Amino acid sequence: GKKSASAKVSDSISTQYPVVDHEFDAVVVGAGGAGLRAAFGLSEAGFNTACVTKLFPTRSHTVAAQGGINAALGNMEDDNWRWHFYDTVKGTGDGTAMVTRAGLPCQDLEFVQFHPTGIYGAGCLITEGCRGEGGILINSQGERFMERYAPVAKDLASRDVVSRSMTIEIREGRGCGPEKDHVYLQLHHLPPQQLATRLPGISETAMIFAGVDVTKEPIPVLPTVHYNMGGIPTNYKGQVITHVNGEDKVVPGLYACGEAASASVHGANRLGANSLLDLVVFGRACALTIAETCKPGEPVPSIKPNAGEESVANLDKLRFADGTIRTSEVRLNMQKTMQSHAAVFRTGSILQEGCEILSQIYRDLAHLKTFDRGIVWNTDLVETLELQNLMLCALQTIYGAEARKESRGAHAREDYKVRIDEFDYSKPLQGQQKRPFEEHWRKHTLSYVDVKSGKVTLKYRPVIDRTLNEEDCSTVPPAIRSY
Amino acid sequence: MAMSRLYSLSPCTLCRPVLAVLRMPRGYSGASLGDSGKDMLEIPLPPWKERPNEPLPTKRARLLYESRKRGMLENCILLSLFAKENLSRMDERQLNLYDRLINEPSNDWDIYYWATEAKPTPAVFDNEVMAMLKELAKNKKKEQRLRQPDLEYLFESTN
Repeated sequence: GKKSASAKVSDSISTQYPVVDHEFDAVVVGAGGAGLRAAFGLSEAGFNTACVTKLFPTRSHTVAAQGGINAALGNMEDDNWRWHFYDTVKGTGDGTAMVTRAGLPCQDLEFVQFHPTGIYGAGCLITEGCRGEGGILINSQGERFMERYAPVAKDLASRDVVSRSMTIEIREGRGCGPEKDHVYLQLHHLPPQQLATRLPGISETAMIFAGVDVTKEPIPVLPTVHYNMGGIPTNYKGQVITHVNGEDKVVPGLYACGEAASASVHGANRLGANSLLDLVVFGRACALTIAETCKPGEPVPSIKPNAGEESVANLDKLRFADGTIRTSEVRLNMQKTMQSHAAVFRTGSILQEGCEILSQIYRDLAHLKTFDRGIVWNTDLVETLELQNLMLCALQTIYGAEARKESRGAHAREDYKVRIDEFDYSKPLQGQQKRPFEEHWRKHTLSYVDVKSGKVTLKYRPVIDRTLNEEDCSTVPPAIRSY
Repeated sequence: MAMSRLYSLSPCTLCRPVLAVLRMPRGYSGASLGDSGKDMLEIPLPPWKERPNEPLPTKRARLLYESRKRGMLENCILLSLFAKENLSRMDERQLNLYDRLINEPSNDWDIYYWATEAKPTPAVFDNEVMAMLKELAKNKKKEQRLRQPDLEYLFESTN
């Protein structure tokens, strides 16, 4: 492509890799829904904007396309999980890792929402409409186990209950398959015509990814990561914040929006239809805040001449990595550990064990082996860089979960089943002694990782309770959630 | 403000959205000046272009990357499998057809619908490569496709 007028070859880093410096008013990293929205808003406001992305932006994330709902399945839950799920699992890892490497905190990464029926392994989600249409979950003994966990609702129990039940069945040895690590979703007792008309797309998905003919065999399923409520902490304007001496502090010039961010409208558990908030509102909010605080063409502050040197060195190291463990192997170990130790079923001893195992896997990163030594379109290299990022996120997720000794929203622990707030909100407040900040859990987790050692540090930050303007919208006090 | 170092070896896209001729009326109240409040659909993306002078090994490497990096899980697995099975034996003409198929549609879901025949394939994409993709989607051998294939197969012959 053309070099812009402000592009200069830099010789301050390494002479091995040609480095070109470009100057922009604004750089947007990531071209998901929110990123593109921000980039476009900035460009419209006159800022010379660059959008840097690993993949060509497609509109699979877009709310607006095709009336708002895209699905491989005709039957679609209201919450449009598809827009988030994939980012969370594969893409969202880069943004949070960049922030971690900069020594800044990530927030609430332990709050992970699970969908009960993802296809085992592949992870493609099967709509809950299946169960609504009469599909049932079966263990290795052919038992419809939901009858035990929810005698009335059975397979139509809430998502949390179903995910938990499935996990307990597997933990207690009644899982299916050679590794007994999933359960079955059975549909073949339903009339084929009903399957075709009420659940179109299931048959295709099940065949393409599980090799299963749903009119004859059950689908192997497992609770699957659905969404991560956490991310890069921001204020309501999209500005990234850190927390120093008990106070929120804006990181000047850095903004975050979309999946990667945690402005924390979702708290501990995201409600279905709030997906729009992340994509559109905060993407736009970032652009507006920048337009308020900066002017196009303002001089760019100087950075040290060898800025980025570490990144180039890391890239070079991975490109020629000749250790003992393949990228794919480390990645699989990480995924399996997260699945078995930090998924739906969380309890102290298992979380602690998971922390140790994951820290060991982090040390394995020093012994990586890559194959592709090339410099152009090197997928092996990019996927290895991604693995480094995913590991940083996974560490923060599992250590945060281990430390949080309560249950709150999506973080549900077998050994600490209740929410621990500063007051017991299930009773009248009068006469109650307020617990000090260190002794309750109604607070955000802030996690840091020392990249060299893999050591995780956890701090906490208060939840913002008050609305911006009591006249526009009064503050809603905390209350115990009941179904 | 930001200064960005762009390393010439990383696959990245510089996208400078054109201040488009099509200005939509502002839908939001309180929008700042210059913010059109457009939703995503109107944001113009750089159009797909064929690359006639690209060396074949580079084209295969690029298409492999683009097959593995999608906006949704289903296509990620499906196209990775397609890449593993077919890229090394496709000729230049077929590679260009595949290039257009996976890079021109602006909605990743459309490719999935066409491959699974949930929607008819538009004429411009309805060619032998699409037929190969449809065949793969049928999974006639009823394999379990648990995840994206690892990349080792690319290097097996050189080990």
